[in-house]
Amino acid sequence: MSTGIGFDQALTAWREAAPADSRQLDLPVKELLDRFHPDRKRGARSKLVIGPNAGEACPSALTRLLQSDSLLQDVDIAGAPTLEADVLVIGGGGAGCIAALTAARAGARVLVATKLGLGDSNTVMAEGGIQAAVGADDSLQRHFEDTLRAGHFKADKELVAALVSGGPSAIRWLIREGMNFDLAEGSQRMGGTLLRKTPGGASAARLLSYRDFTGLELMRAVREGTLMQSNITILERHPALELLSDDRGRCAGAVLHDLARGRAVVARSAVTVLTTGGSGRLHLAGFPTSNHYGATADGLVLAYRLGARLRDVGSFQYHPTGIAWPGPLEGQLVSEAARSSGAVLVNGLGQRFVDELQPRDIVASAILREIAEGRGVARDGKVGVFLDTPSLERAKPGILARELVTLRNLARRAGFDPAEEPFMIRPTLHYQNGGVEINAAGHTTVPGLLAAGEVTGGLHGRNRMMGNALLELVVFGRLAGASAAADARRERPRNVGLTHLADWRRAMESQRLPLDRKAPLLFPSYSNFDPVRDRRRGA
Amino acid sequence: MNAVLTAPEIQVVADLPGWLAVGGGEGLKNALADPDAIVPTIEAAGLRGLGGAGFPTHRKWAAVAAQPPNPEGGGKWIVCNGNEDEPGTFKDRFLLSRTPHQVIEGALIAAVAVRANHIALYVNPREDQSVVALRLSAIAWAAHPLLDQVAELVGSPVELHVCESSGLYVGGEETAAVANVMGGFPFPSLKPPYPAERGVHGAPTLLNNVETLAHVPHILRHGAHWYRELGLGNAVGTKLYSLSGDVLRPGLHELPMGTSLRELVFGYGGGMLAGKGFKAVFTGGPSNTLLTDRDLDIALDFDSLAARGSRLGTGAMIVVGEGTSILRKTAEYVAFFAANSCGQCPSCKIGTHQVSRLLERIDAGAGRPADLEALENFTRLLPGSGRCGLVDGAATVLASSLATFRSEYEQAVRHG
Amino acid sequence: MATARLVIDGHPIEGEPGTSLLQAWVAAGLPLTENVGCMGQGVCGACRVLVRRPGERLAQTGLACETLVEDGLQVAFINLSRGSRPHPYDLHALGDSWDAIARIDELFPEAERCRHCGGCDSACPKGIQVQQMVNLAAVGQTYAAAELFDDCVQCNLCVAACPEHIDPAHLGQLVRRMTAAMTLRPSDLIMRLHELEAGEQPIDLDAPGARPPAPDAEDAR
Repeated sequence: MSTGIGFDQALTAWREAAPADSRQLDLPVKELLDRFHPDRKRGARSKLVIGPNAGEACPSALTRLLQSDSLLQDVDIAGAPTLEADVLVIGGGGAGCIAALTAARAGARVLVATKLGLGDSNTVMAEGGIQAAVGADDSLQRHFEDTLRAGHFKADKELVAALVSGGPSAIRWLIREGMNFDLAEGSQRMGGTLLRKTPGGASAARLLSYRDFTGLELMRAVREGTLMQSNITILERHPALELLSDDRGRCAGAVLHDLARGRAVVARSAVTVLTTGGSGRLHLAGFPTSNHYGATADGLVLAYRLGARLRDVGSFQYHPTGIAWPGPLEGQLVSEAARSSGAVLVNGLGQRFVDELQPRDIVASAILREIAEGRGVARDGKVGVFLDTPSLERAKPGILARELVTLRNLARRAGFDPAEEPFMIRPTLHYQNGGVEINAAGHTTVPGLLAAGEVTGGLHGRNRMMGNALLELVVFGRLAGASAAADARRERPRNVGLTHLADWRRAMESQRLPLDRKAPLLFPSYSNFDPVRDRRRGA
Repeated sequence: MNAVLTAPEIQVVADLPGWLAVGGGEGLKNALADPDAIVPTIEAAGLRGLGGAGFPTHRKWAAVAAQPPNPEGGGKWIVCNGNEDEPGTFKDRFLLSRTPHQVIEGALIAAVAVRANHIALYVNPREDQSVVALRLSAIAWAAHPLLDQVAELVGSPVELHVCESSGLYVGGEETAAVANVMGGFPFPSLKPPYPAERGVHGAPTLLNNVETLAHVPHILRHGAHWYRELGLGNAVGTKLYSLSGDVLRPGLHELPMGTSLRELVFGYGGGMLAGKGFKAVFTGGPSNTLLTDRDLDIALDFDSLAARGSRLGTGAMIVVGEGTSILRKTAEYVAFFAANSCGQCPSCKIGTHQVSRLLERIDAGAGRPADLEALENFTRLLPGSGRCGLVDGAATVLASSLATFRSEYEQAVRHG
Repeated sequence: MATARLVIDGHPIEGEPGTSLLQAWVAAGLPLTENVGCMGQGVCGACRVLVRRPGERLAQTGLACETLVEDGLQVAFINLSRGSRPHPYDLHALGDSWDAIARIDELFPEAERCRHCGGCDSACPKGIQVQQMVNLAAVGQTYAAAELFDDCVQCNLCVAACPEHIDPAHLGQLVRRMTAAMTLRPSDLIMRLHELEAGEQPIDLDAPGARPPAPDAEDAR
């Protein structure tokens, strides 16, 4: 990262120019993205040489993980306690809980295995809202086209159609589970209308929300529902180490690691639903992340090793406004609500440099360009640009206290007053756009393995719209849960074991890939945790 | 030796004439004859609080005597604390159900000494025999001329109230008892103010344990010297030891204060059950430092145990033999404290619950070495962090068990 | 500002000023696999701690991602599993809202035994008036109770704090969920759902807007 303009000097420049005039990008979007979007940085990417996506490139750190060996040998599961279920759900965030609830209500015996605690996930951190085309001025078609356009037309149309069609009934489902939504001002709880905001890149107001913690409100209702549902057994602190396979290549459950006891547990199931979320905690290209602690790409690794095809796996979303300074808060999110309310971005020279309401990938790339070309703001070794909250407050007095509560709390923790001093922000690794390929019923390319939520790919193309992540996990969590319960009645795996690992290791050896590289990671590199050593403890 | 509090002839239950016929009332008469001599006599006898604290009784009495009565609060109060709910302690229920009159007479003598006109007989409602005995006894005293003499000296009518406590362990703490006597939930409160200054309904209040008050009529009758001579070594009087656990003859033993642990366990207690080896003793609450086989010759009195770094507590001695897990026992006791924390202080309720969870996890074989460090952390973080001493008791028994039987814990986390 | 010296779960730790307890813990090289989640946003409620400050008698509860290091702090993590269901209920089987309010008592019978110790209020890291919520819920003032619980992050510290086993966090969620499930009926959503049932919102996969506007230059890459 290049150095920038000193903070004090930048602050003076900002004060003199505030409020800064708007300025259009002086670079074509394609060139901006090609030169500055982290996904497109050459050298930081490498090609996969084994597995279903061999020949495709993805970030080197992820390539290394995808092409690594299992943490397990066959002998490790000898004598391990065994659990049986119709449906095994791996991951206890929004998608996992919803898939589990749906499957259990359809009569399946469900096991939910989660690495952290139930609900401790990216879902709970989502602030902005959930998209659903409910307005009279809106339509499913608009939502469909907006989503495709934001993703640069790289998304799977069938999946997007399923996503937007499931929107309104997803909201009804959430309300039935006890989730609250904001209503339009002056509106009544019965017969009123929902409060709708316009997410970046949308052609209609479509973002539904609950204050500025929509994800928390969603997770609270769904977590509680999962907890209360009979037929669901919850295993907290039980990350998956490896999927189980049968002799026809069907997924047959997973080997879990009981963190409390440091030992393997074999969870056999007719159907497995992967809802492990994203991978922000890989800190690709050295970026900070807004993700929760468990986002380490475990699901991608497990699915790929069993032969599931991935798609758009090199595509990540860098949220434009992560905290750049102070260090301890680095990577935490300043909600998009700040920009959609009118806060502008200003470089170290006091200039605006992009239309702040462009899609996230463009705004993020524009910020990275300012930093790369020396126009960023430098403070205590951190470089970013200003998010001009003081000018916003002057233009709309009281807005910080009234509408941007979380933002104000963040500033308080950083030790400054956002009405007086601008935030220092920088893009933060926010979302895994691609992932395990699925169809509109939630099936992956591996029989017996389904997936839902951030771990999947195809819905967002190269860029995700705000509000589509929460919608995705509800719509596809439900679809995958229903499919899983139905599939579990049809066929059960036979001759279950770790047979796929031999094939995998042969492939690794043939490409001279080092077998001492193990995955999944389970926890970030700085967790001071070694799953191999931990497993020996329980032996 | 000759039993004092548990002598068979005084076990007359609520029969007041029966009590007076075996020397009852003599102490009270002596007190009435020379009220100013009461506190000095108690001081000379060396009587200390037998509910667990071991605080010199005469100092409490002198403190309450020195306070002016509070008319709005009813004057002055005495609370005879019979809440007794500690695991392994079963002495007060014996006294209240078998010989309630010596306790009431002790309270009346205290009333004379401090000029108190309200006496609350605060009793655990789960001990129904104690409750019945106290109710009948209070009625008997109310009709007796001796009570009028007490009232005359105090300067106003003296009322005996039988107050059924909440039955909760925490209600034995003195500020909690005050709150409970006033009809509220037994929430402990920060001291000061001490009950001696502001207790029941804001009035100066003297709180004494049942066993402490039971000794008073005997001291006033036979004199301080007689009382002192009952003890062994430097210790004074007799003590009711509640002996339980892995011994052949558990039960209540009234012995000279200062009897050795060996004599209690292997003499009066008949030795270890099934010939097991002696391992340790949880004393008091059980909220104190454990005693081990190195301590068998220790004298079971306040000062000797304090010198050892432990405490006599209520005189409960829960004996643990080989084959019984200290870890398991500690887990049980900490769970008891966690369940009985009143809820006001997060450190106490949540802290003891967390300790309890860690102990259960270790005992279940799912512990890890770091859990021991987390436990030790609690032994430093928790003490003194509550309004009352409940959390301290839990921390003390945990710290002692961890320090003394470390190998049991280490084995559990290694082979877990 | 100087480095803060503190103790977490028995480990002496030096923390850089401005860092959270969680950050200081991992920076000290200690393994972190539980009591962690959102890592700073303060919304997942997983990193519960008991903290005692030097010179203070009573200890306080908090979230480790939101509590900054200070000299002399004594800290202990509090593990609380959320994977148990002490007060099970089926939101969809509560009957209509006439019955449901009365059923709060059946589902959470302990609520009316609140002893008013205030422990839940002291324990809540979000400053929620938990006890007030319990008392309102116990007398059927469901909506008022639900509003008080708006900021709950389900850390369950109030559950651990409650000596009467009321389970305030779950009672709070019950009243919140009830009010949404039984009273929220937005007309725009209902109208759209009717349209969908009537097949009035078809999606044209090949509409002009569903195709890249020009030969997609990005494909050439």
